[in-house]
Amino acid sequence: MSLLDAHSPSAVPGARFMDPVVLARIGNLSLVARAVVDGFINGLHKAPYFGASVDFAEHRGYVPGDDIRRVDWRLWARTDRYYVKEYEAESNMNFSVLLDVSKSMDYGTIGITKLDYARILTACLTNLVHHQRDRVGFVAFDDDVVEFVPPSAKHMETVLHVLDRLKPGRPGSLRRPLHKLAEHFGRRGVLVVISDFYEDPETVVDAVTPLRFRGNDLVVFHVLDPAEIEFGFSSASAFEDLESGEQIPVVPEAMRRDYMSLVRAHIDALQQRFSEVRVDYTLLDTSKPLDHALFRYLTGREKKLRLR
Amino acid sequence: MSFLAPLFFVALAALAIPVLIHLIQREKKQVVRFPSLMFIQRVPYKSVRRRRIHNWFLLMVRLTALALIVLAFSRPFVERDELGVAAGGAREVVVLLDQSYSVTFGDRWDRARAAASEAIDGLGPDDRGSVVLFSSGAEIAMRSAPAGERQRLRAAVAAARPSAAATRYAPALKVAGSILAESSLPRREVVLISDFQRAGWRGEEGARLPPATTLRPVALTGDADRPNVSVTAVSLARSTFSNQERVAVTAVVVNRSARSLGNGQVALEIGGRPIQTERLEVEANSSVSITFAPVTLAGNFMRGTVRAGDDALAADNVFHFVVSPVQPVRVLVLDRGGAAGGALYVTRALAIGDAPRFEATLRQPDAVSDEDLRRASVVVANDVAVPASLGRRLQRFVEGGGGFFIATGARATWASDVDLLPAAVEAPVDRSRGEAARVGALEFGHPVFEPFRTPRSGDFTAARIYGYRTVQPVTGAEVLARFDAGAPALLERRVGAGRVLLWSSTLDLAWSDFPLKPVYLPFVHQAVRHLAAYAEPAPWLTVGQVLDPSVGGAASPQASGVVLTPSGRRVGIDEEGAEVLELTEQGFYELRSRTGDTVTAVVASNVDTAESDLTAMDPKEIIAATTALPETVRQAGATGRALTPEAQERSQRLWWYLLCVGILLLGADTVISNRLSKT
Repeated sequence: MSLLDAHSPSAVPGARFMDPVVLARIGNLSLVARAVVDGFINGLHKAPYFGASVDFAEHRGYVPGDDIRRVDWRLWARTDRYYVKEYEAESNMNFSVLLDVSKSMDYGTIGITKLDYARILTACLTNLVHHQRDRVGFVAFDDDVVEFVPPSAKHMETVLHVLDRLKPGRPGSLRRPLHKLAEHFGRRGVLVVISDFYEDPETVVDAVTPLRFRGNDLVVFHVLDPAEIEFGFSSASAFEDLESGEQIPVVPEAMRRDYMSLVRAHIDALQQRFSEVRVDYTLLDTSKPLDHALFRYLTGREKKLRLR
Repeated sequence: MSFLAPLFFVALAALAIPVLIHLIQREKKQVVRFPSLMFIQRVPYKSVRRRRIHNWFLLMVRLTALALIVLAFSRPFVERDELGVAAGGAREVVVLLDQSYSVTFGDRWDRARAAASEAIDGLGPDDRGSVVLFSSGAEIAMRSAPAGERQRLRAAVAAARPSAAATRYAPALKVAGSILAESSLPRREVVLISDFQRAGWRGEEGARLPPATTLRPVALTGDADRPNVSVTAVSLARSTFSNQERVAVTAVVVNRSARSLGNGQVALEIGGRPIQTERLEVEANSSVSITFAPVTLAGNFMRGTVRAGDDALAADNVFHFVVSPVQPVRVLVLDRGGAAGGALYVTRALAIGDAPRFEATLRQPDAVSDEDLRRASVVVANDVAVPASLGRRLQRFVEGGGGFFIATGARATWASDVDLLPAAVEAPVDRSRGEAARVGALEFGHPVFEPFRTPRSGDFTAARIYGYRTVQPVTGAEVLARFDAGAPALLERRVGAGRVLLWSSTLDLAWSDFPLKPVYLPFVHQAVRHLAAYAEPAPWLTVGQVLDPSVGGAASPQASGVVLTPSGRRVGIDEEGAEVLELTEQGFYELRSRTGDTVTAVVASNVDTAESDLTAMDPKEIIAATTALPETVRQAGATGRALTPEAQERSQRLWWYLLCVGILLLGADTVISNRLSKT
């Protein structure tokens, strides 16, 4: 089933996002690759947090305050020193998708809008995570929080339902809603932000970074239409801003080169700034298959984990 | 370039249509909805402007096409003169150089000559130049000389001197117009070098330059704030003191500048020697009169001069005048003699006269000598019997210029063979019974009755006439007054150079009470003054006026043979007075006899004080009046001939080309816009 077919309405709310082809291709990825994503598939990936679990990780010296139940007495018997056993935690973590539903997302030139693309992506990720029995949550925002589904193991259907009835509305901004949300995600988890990021890189990073402050792992998907990247217009037209309604007469041929270099500089700047603050950034082109995008993301995560 | 149908320019409003369409189209242009204009706005503005320039080209093509079509409908045509001027060619240049005395103000004269020389130097190799000097009149110093003779033109300018006359532009422009009208060169130009005084321009006065003439003014204005004082007039008050006639001179001094004069001097000179100097204080743009102490008149033709101030315009600071003692009018009164002599009232009336003074001499008719007649100007005969011999002598006297006044009473007789009187005297008419006769029907246009012309200035009907003589006017006689019955009362006849008046009643109380009436005295004075042809000589004349050789009053015209001008030039005057002399210099003109070099008259000549007013006018006024053409003339060509229909059509053919270019542009517009829409 193609993306366009996936976009067709379905009797079951959210069912159209369960693209089996996409999911199958993701499923064919090696288990290691899957495990790179924190909590995506329960039991197969290593939790980045050390704690009480079943898999031993390492020993460390006892310090006052440690639970004496965790002291490895056998090792004390051999070495006459107190060591505490560390295990890799196998957690049921929180996974939330923060989706930008501002009006600029309602744009597409190849039969699918950026918002639809993001919906599918959200559904895929949510589905993936749900199968690992992690808690899934969802937030839609424009210049404020529009929908909020708190992370829960039972919220899969709710998330899909909310996703289905989402409509792009007001002009968007990142700073206000994301700063507000940063206070809500107190428990460590994985937050995925999907947006077209039509703001200055500094502003974007400034808006997104606070989500990391409480230990959340942050993944950013930058969704753009091919027309926004390549600017393939030919005839002189009045370009109307989807959000502000402002119109500007434009001769595309004359400004394509300048525009493309500006967009490239914008993407490069976002990439640079996000890597500086240790946020995973992925540019997604809506003309590219979704599985390809997920694959790129998962392989990127794996490489990153190896560096740790 | 002119237009036959300029109303079509209203259609230029249609130029707004393409602009409106352009704007409306731009509004309806394809709108591309785009997520954000963030990057588009950052692209330099040039891309947007380039788009506008691209479209503006199309817009300009359309606008030009429409404008050309509208222009074509307004039927433009090019006047042939404009074509000729535009095409260039040789010029006929007339340099009008103002030489009125006002150009001596400051350095104006030097600047004027420099401007004239510059105009001459500017002549092209094929040009021709003329130099015309003008003040109140115009004089051609050099007429239509080729450019190769620049030296002669320059010499004409160098030889020019400021005159004492005032400025008048019309004569100069007329001369320039005549020179240009005779020229065959295609371009005509007048260079008018002047200080452009307002007083010199009294309307165009028929001065029009030929069509397509360029009038280039060179204004010598500036430094007008320098002081300028002028003596505009002098009044002479005569008086008699110890049997000597004296005259008190009062001068009027005008300050025409914007500065007040506080420490000037005004001096009176008599015979070239300063007599009295007074302090002169004149406010700005105001006048003051200064009266000098009376001066005794020592002799004839006493020359007086008033000098005031010392400013940049010296000519108007001097005012000359000539004053002579008043010459009495000598009257010979014929009396019957005895106690009842009828000349009492006449002699008493003549004794009262002062301006002029009358000097009456009583003689009985048979005692009149030739010397008496030679000295007298007028002979009065009141009711006396004139013998035939005296009658013939009186006839010669009158023919020689004398005056004869005869009153015919009961005793009056006249030799019938002496043809002198204006009428034949016949029988007396007695009006002592019943209503007395009254004098009515006066000829007020005659000099004798002219002073009584206005109402309440003399009532002749108050006099009662009890008797008069019936008279039969002769041919050539004029009846000046009639009695109420219609009979002539006063008649005049010109005989030779003199005149004869006949009063058909008496001038004493014998036949009337006329001598007791108020009108009697002025009537006798006026009649004698008229018969003596008395006229007070003018103390001065103005430059530009004509000198009358007989102006010397007592001097006979035959004696005026030579005139000595103020600059010392001797000019001969024809004895018959056929040749007249125009005053051109400021000062005293002396009239001398051709033989004996005796001064027979002196005339003072002053500049026209209207020229002292240096107020300048706008030269455009002259240009507009002299170069503008009436519409009927405008229709004709430069030669004044009406254009043929073919020639008219040729000059108006421009619209055809404009229309073609406009339509071609519209076609090009269609092609361009089609191509643009395809891309």
